[in-house]
Amino acid sequence: MTIKVLGPGCINCRTLERRTREALTELNLQADVLKVEDLDGIVSYGILRTPGLVIDEKVVFQGGVPPVLKIKELIAKAAGGKMS
Amino acid sequence: MKEWIKFALLAAVFLLFYFAPVSGPAAVTSLAAGLALLQEYARLHVLTCLVPAFFIAGSIAVYVKKDAVLKLLGPTAKKIIAYPVATVSGGILAVCSCTILPLFTGIYKRGAGIGPAAAFLFTGPAINVTAILLTGSVLGWDFAIGRLVAAMVISILAGLFLAFVFREHDKKNSNSDFVAGMSNDLPYSNITIALFLLLQLGVLVVFGLALEPALKGAVVALLIAAVLVIVLVKFQKEHTLEWIRETWDLMKKILPYLFVGVFVAGTIEVIVPQAFITRLVGENTLLSNAIASTFGAFMYFATLTEVPIIQKLMALGMGRGPALTLFLTGNALSLPSMIVLFRVMGKKQAAAYILTIMILSAFAGILFGELL
Repeated sequence: MTIKVLGPGCINCRTLERRTREALTELNLQADVLKVEDLDGIVSYGILRTPGLVIDEKVVFQGGVPPVLKIKELIAKAAGGKMS
Repeated sequence: MKEWIKFALLAAVFLLFYFAPVSGPAAVTSLAAGLALLQEYARLHVLTCLVPAFFIAGSIAVYVKKDAVLKLLGPTAKKIIAYPVATVSGGILAVCSCTILPLFTGIYKRGAGIGPAAAFLFTGPAINVTAILLTGSVLGWDFAIGRLVAAMVISILAGLFLAFVFREHDKKNSNSDFVAGMSNDLPYSNITIALFLLLQLGVLVVFGLALEPALKGAVVALLIAAVLVIVLVKFQKEHTLEWIRETWDLMKKILPYLFVGVFVAGTIEVIVPQAFITRLVGENTLLSNAIASTFGAFMYFATLTEVPIIQKLMALGMGRGPALTLFLTGNALSLPSMIVLFRVMGKKQAAAYILTIMILSAFAGILFGELL
């Protein structure tokens, strides 16, 4: 699983990255967490409001920093969808 | 690029301390002036204006429905709708400057095109709610409204002009996934959200009125109670926590810079000779507005710091016209933002955008200085 955090690098994007890692640790899952900081990269996902969260090339959240609980749900949903 | 900026800043601080006449009386009076202005802000503006303003900005970030607004800036949007929406959406969509550029790039390259994108880019930082409210509290509401209206008019004119000049570059965008991902809009009625925002705005406005302290306290307490009722009865706990977190984040991001800015503004009053300011930007002429426009375009103001700095420049004799011009370009442009613009928009478009903004801002300043 590859998770990308999209955002030019302000406090919100960094918070989202940190929470994503926390969520992964709590779920006991392994994933690559990458940060996409260049504007063209961000826009190419169809993201408008940063930060955005992309799991396996699919945008699952944009325009805010969801709490860890919510991120866990998003990751679990993406992981579950892939297995079935 | 970032490293050389850090180096330049450090070098500037080093040179400042190396040559500063710290033992003279000027050093003591300027320090005292800086501290005095800090005290003025702490006593007059923090509790009555900034704190409510940050809560309002936090509410907008969390509760106001944004996906619906964004759809109006998509590639299929009608121009007559896209421009006004782009102009006001700066105040709703982007509270922090780092969200502005991705949004701008998205609207420019995938959405409604260069015109609305440029309009958004200009008003995004200029009609920031906290900035307008602080301007009103410090410099008076004619200034706050002048700043707001001028920014909106200029953004539409500049957007239309750019869209016309670069109509060939502005290729049709495909109308695919403009707003990707899920909808993050919260399930509350528009009326609830509007009431919630208005009540908070009411707190700030009542604080500013010249009422008897007892009456004022009672009205403010009533308004805060009403806000709390909405929070407790209507909103889910999860979203309330989000609102408080967002408000706190904004305060953390902005207030430290603001306090440094206030201190610096206070020292300016002592360090900068009054005759210099009066001669340069004292009158409301074309030249003085052009000077203010150029200075504002290159100078970087951290969010809100433009308010104390312009306040003190006016105390030194800066005219109202040039002051408004400085507000307009000071917010919209800075040397770092110009560098980014050249990269994102291309050389010609960026140069045209910057010049248009500078010229229109100078004229807005002249008009404001003449009329009000």
